[in-house]
Amino acid sequence: MMTDELSILALYGLFVCLVLFVQVSGAATQFDMGYLISSRDEKRTLEGMVGRMERALNNSVTALAMFAPPILILALRQHNDGLSLICAQIFLIVRVLYVPSYVFNLVGLRTLLWLVGFACTVGLYLLAL
Amino acid sequence: MTPELTVLGLAILLHMVLLCLYAVRANLEIGRAYTTGPRDTPPERPLGTTTARLQRAVNNSLESLILFAPAALMVGLTHQSTPDTAAVAWAFLAARLLYIPAYALGLAPWRSAIWGLGFLATLFLTLAALF
Repeated sequence: MMTDELSILALYGLFVCLVLFVQVSGAATQFDMGYLISSRDEKRTLEGMVGRMERALNNSVTALAMFAPPILILALRQHNDGLSLICAQIFLIVRVLYVPSYVFNLVGLRTLLWLVGFACTVGLYLLAL
Repeated sequence: MTPELTVLGLAILLHMVLLCLYAVRANLEIGRAYTTGPRDTPPERPLGTTTARLQRAVNNSLESLILFAPAALMVGLTHQSTPDTAAVAWAFLAARLLYIPAYALGLAPWRSAIWGLGFLATLFLTLAALF
């Protein structure tokens, strides 16, 4: 059965897919399509907003890799309770806000959002234990 | 083991094969002294074209696994496996397998099309876990 925490994991997975899609679209505006579909042997760097989008995407992928295991452990051990759900919900909210905070260069807020998401992940590991 | 979980196991093995393929070539090209060292500075000689492509394929493979694994585990463990989700999981594996030669040989636009297939399969599987 899908627990509420698992639904949040699925929603975050969908969100990372969306960020990936937007990032690729953004890259298409900065590079020509020919470069994107090529084997990219010559390295080009994305700049400005699209570059920040790329870094936000990489950070989102890392966050997903860290977030998925405790959520799956909680579901398999049927350890989920009110606290684990709140941690997962806060994680989802701050990780969604993290991407625009990076893209629009909101210094300070971005780091704060990252930190809250990280703390939620650590909390979930402790709850999973 | 549902088909989605079997595919996940196979996809991890495929990633490891790709990683070995890349690592062996990189060691031959830039030398064991560098690869076993702390890599504080970039290597003196850059990687060859094909090996550099394999390196980017490894990074992409890892990213695709991070997105695919939770979806496969959710569908498999919550008894939501259907013939459709199984077919999509196998399509993911086929795409990720073809992605490697497509990248190594620089097949445009096939590499991107194959990547898109794997991406859509992951997206479908994640949606299937939710609904």
